[in-house]
Amino acid sequence: MAPGRPTANGPGWGRSYLVSPPDYFTVAYEINPYMHLQVIPDHELAMEEHQTMVSLLRRAGASVERLEPVDGLPDLVFTANAGLVDRAGGASRFIPSRFRHPERQAETPYDIAWFSARGFDIDHLPPEEPFEGAGDALPFEPEGASSPVLLCGYRTRSSITAHRALSDLLGLPVRSLELVDDRYYHLDLVFCPLDGRRAIVAPQGLDRYGCRVIEELVPEPIWLEDDEAASFSANAVVVGTTVLIPSCSPRLGRLLERAGLEVVPCPVGEFQKAGGGVRCLTLALDMELAGSRRPLYDTSGTSQLSSEQGCVPPR
Amino acid sequence: MSAREVLRMDGHLVDSLLLAKVLDAIVAAGASYRILELDLGTTNLDQSHVRLEVEAAGEVALERLLESLHVHGLNREDSADAALEPADADGVLPDGFYATTNFVTAVRLGGHWLRAANPEMDCAIVVDTTTDPVSARTVPMHRVRRGDMVVVGWNGVRVEPPERPRARPDTESSADGGGHESFGFMTSDVSSEKPKALVVARVAASLEAARSRRDQTGAGGAGLGSRVLVVAGPAVVHTGAAADLAWLVREGFVSVLFAGNGFATHDIEAAVLGTSLGVSVDAGAPQEHGHANHLRVINSLRRLGSIRAAVEAGWLTSGVLYECIRAGVPVVLGGSVRDDGPLPDVITDTVRAADAMREQVAGVSVALMLASTLHAIATGNLLPAGVETYCVDINQAVVTKLADRGSHQAFGIVTDVGLFVRELAVALGRRGH
Repeated sequence: MAPGRPTANGPGWGRSYLVSPPDYFTVAYEINPYMHLQVIPDHELAMEEHQTMVSLLRRAGASVERLEPVDGLPDLVFTANAGLVDRAGGASRFIPSRFRHPERQAETPYDIAWFSARGFDIDHLPPEEPFEGAGDALPFEPEGASSPVLLCGYRTRSSITAHRALSDLLGLPVRSLELVDDRYYHLDLVFCPLDGRRAIVAPQGLDRYGCRVIEELVPEPIWLEDDEAASFSANAVVVGTTVLIPSCSPRLGRLLERAGLEVVPCPVGEFQKAGGGVRCLTLALDMELAGSRRPLYDTSGTSQLSSEQGCVPPR
Repeated sequence: MSAREVLRMDGHLVDSLLLAKVLDAIVAAGASYRILELDLGTTNLDQSHVRLEVEAAGEVALERLLESLHVHGLNREDSADAALEPADADGVLPDGFYATTNFVTAVRLGGHWLRAANPEMDCAIVVDTTTDPVSARTVPMHRVRRGDMVVVGWNGVRVEPPERPRARPDTESSADGGGHESFGFMTSDVSSEKPKALVVARVAASLEAARSRRDQTGAGGAGLGSRVLVVAGPAVVHTGAAADLAWLVREGFVSVLFAGNGFATHDIEAAVLGTSLGVSVDAGAPQEHGHANHLRVINSLRRLGSIRAAVEAGWLTSGVLYECIRAGVPVVLGGSVRDDGPLPDVITDTVRAADAMREQVAGVSVALMLASTLHAIATGNLLPAGVETYCVDINQAVVTKLADRGSHQAFGIVTDVGLFVRELAVALGRRGH
C-alpha cells in the first residue's frame, strides 16, 4: 500500500500521532457548552483513560509521540487543535493554529517549539483570523481521486477567511462547512473520515448545505443519530481498519463492522467534561495534504469530473 | 428608503454551496441581490470570486443582514473614503469638487457611509467634522464658505437612485403602504394621451394622502415628507383656475406656493378687478383700458406695502394669495428682469429668491407645477429626485425641458391648466360651480 493514499482499508493516514498527557488537565474556564467550573474532571481517572488510549493506539499499529504537558495549560491535552501537519512530498510542514479564545492562545508557542525542534517548517496563517488546526480541518480523499479535499468547519472557532488562506497555502480545494450548533463547535465532532468511501457524519452540527456537500463528496456517509452524535461518536480516530471511538451504540457498531472496520471502544469520559474525545486528544502527524499535484479536474477542459459548477444548490 | 451595498466573497464557493447559502440567506431576509461579477476559476484548485449588490429595506435591515453574512466570508467591497479639500474662498469651490445630482447621495468617511442632507442637483457636498457624529450636507456654490471641507473627486461617493415601485401584480398588497405605487403608475413619461380622468384621480389621491399624513403628524402641518408644493404660472389665472386653486389652499391641500410677479399680480387683479391682463375672467371680454389693470393693482399694492398688508386692510379679500395669507401657507415670489412693478413681496435678487425657495423645499413630498416654465425649472433644480413631481402644461416642450435639466422624476401632463385644476378640485370634493 502506498503511504498516504486512502484505500478501502482506511484513510491512508493516521498511523502516527502526537499526544500530551493530562498531568495538568482540568476545567479552569468555560469556553464550550461542556465545560462547567463546577464539574472538575477526576485527575487519576483522566490519567488512566489517556494511558489506555495511548496503548490502544499503539496496539492498533500507530506510533505515538509526546508533547510535554505544561502547568497552567489544561487544554494542551487536546493536541488536535495545535495546528495542521502536512507531510506531502516528503515535506515536514506545521501550520500552527490561531486560537479564538485567549485561554488557549498560550499553547501555541509550545506547539511551535515541538515541531521546530523536529525540523518542521512552520507556515503561519495570516493573523487576525482564528483557525483551530486539525480540529476544524479534516481531509477526505474519495476513492480514485488524485488529491484530497480539505473539509473545514467555521463559525464557532475557525473563521471562513482562514479557510481561503489555508487553501492557498496548501494548494488544496477546501469545502467550508458551517457549524451551526455550539455543541459541535469543532469539525471533528461532526466528521470523521474512515476510508475512500465512508465517513462518520453528525448532521446535527451542520445545516442542509453542509449535509449536501458531504453527500456530494462522500459516497457512503454513516449518519449519526442524535444520541450517538451527542456522545462524541464522530470524535473517533482511525488507524488502518481500527476505529478508536469514545462511545459506540450497537447500531453504529454494526454499521462500522459491516464496513469492514474493527470497533475499539476507547472511553475518555473525563475529557468529554472539557468537550473533547479521542480525536481531540490526538494530532495526526502523517497527513499528506499539499504537494505539486495536478488539479483534480480542469473546468476549461472538455470531459472531466464534477466541477465547481457541477453542484446544484439545494432548494 | 432602501439601502444597498456592494459585497465580495472569495473561496471554494460553489462546491461548498456557500454561494447558494448566502444568496438564500439574502432572499430569506427579505432583501434582494444582483450578481455583478462571478468568476468560477478554471480548475478545482482555483477559488471562485463573486461581487454582488445587496439591497435591503433600510440601513438597519442592511446592517443586520451584512452582519449575518459576514461570518460566511461575504464582506463589503473595500472602498476608499471620500477625499476632502477646503474651500479657498467664500462662494468658490475647490477644483475637482464633486457635483451633485438630485439623488440621495452618501459619502464614505472613516469607513462609514454618511448621507448628505438636503439632496439637490448641481451643488457640492460639504462635510462638517465638528459635529458629532460627523455630518454632510449639500451646499450650493454661492453658500460655501472659505475653509468648508468639500468632497472632491468620485471616490467614496455613492448615489442612491430613488426606490422603484417594487409592487408586482402578485405582490400588490406589499407592506409598502402603497404610497409609491401611484407614482409608479405614471412611469415618468410625458403624455398627452393618457386618460386625463385617471391622471387627475391619481394626483388627487396623492394630495389627499399627503394631507392626511400631515394631519397625523400634528397641527404644525409641516410633518416631514408630507408637504405639497405648488408652483403656479400666470396661465392659472388667465384660464380661470385661480378660484379652484384658492379652494385647494383653503382646504389644506397646499403647503407652500412658489410663483413669480406675473401670477401674483394677475391673481390679485382677478380678485380685485375681475380681470386677468385686462380680460374679464368670467365673461372673457377685454375691458376698455384693461391692459393697464395689472399696473394699477401693482401700484396700489406698492402703496399698501405688502400682500399681507393688503389682506389686513381689507383691500384684498379673495384669490390664491389671499387664501395663502389666511391659511399661513408660505409664499415665495421670485422676480425676473421683465417684471412690471414689481409687487413689494417679490424677491428681485435671484440668488436670494432661490435660497428662499431652497428653505421651503424641505419636507416636500409632492410638487405640482402648473403652467410655469421658469419657476418650474428653478424648482426642479432644488427638489430631491424622490419628490413626486407633476408638471401640467399645454406645451409639451416645458415638460421635456424640465426632464432635460435633470428632473427625471417629473411626470408630464399635457393639458389646459384651467381644466386640470378644476377637475382636480372636483376630484377632491369641490362642489357648486
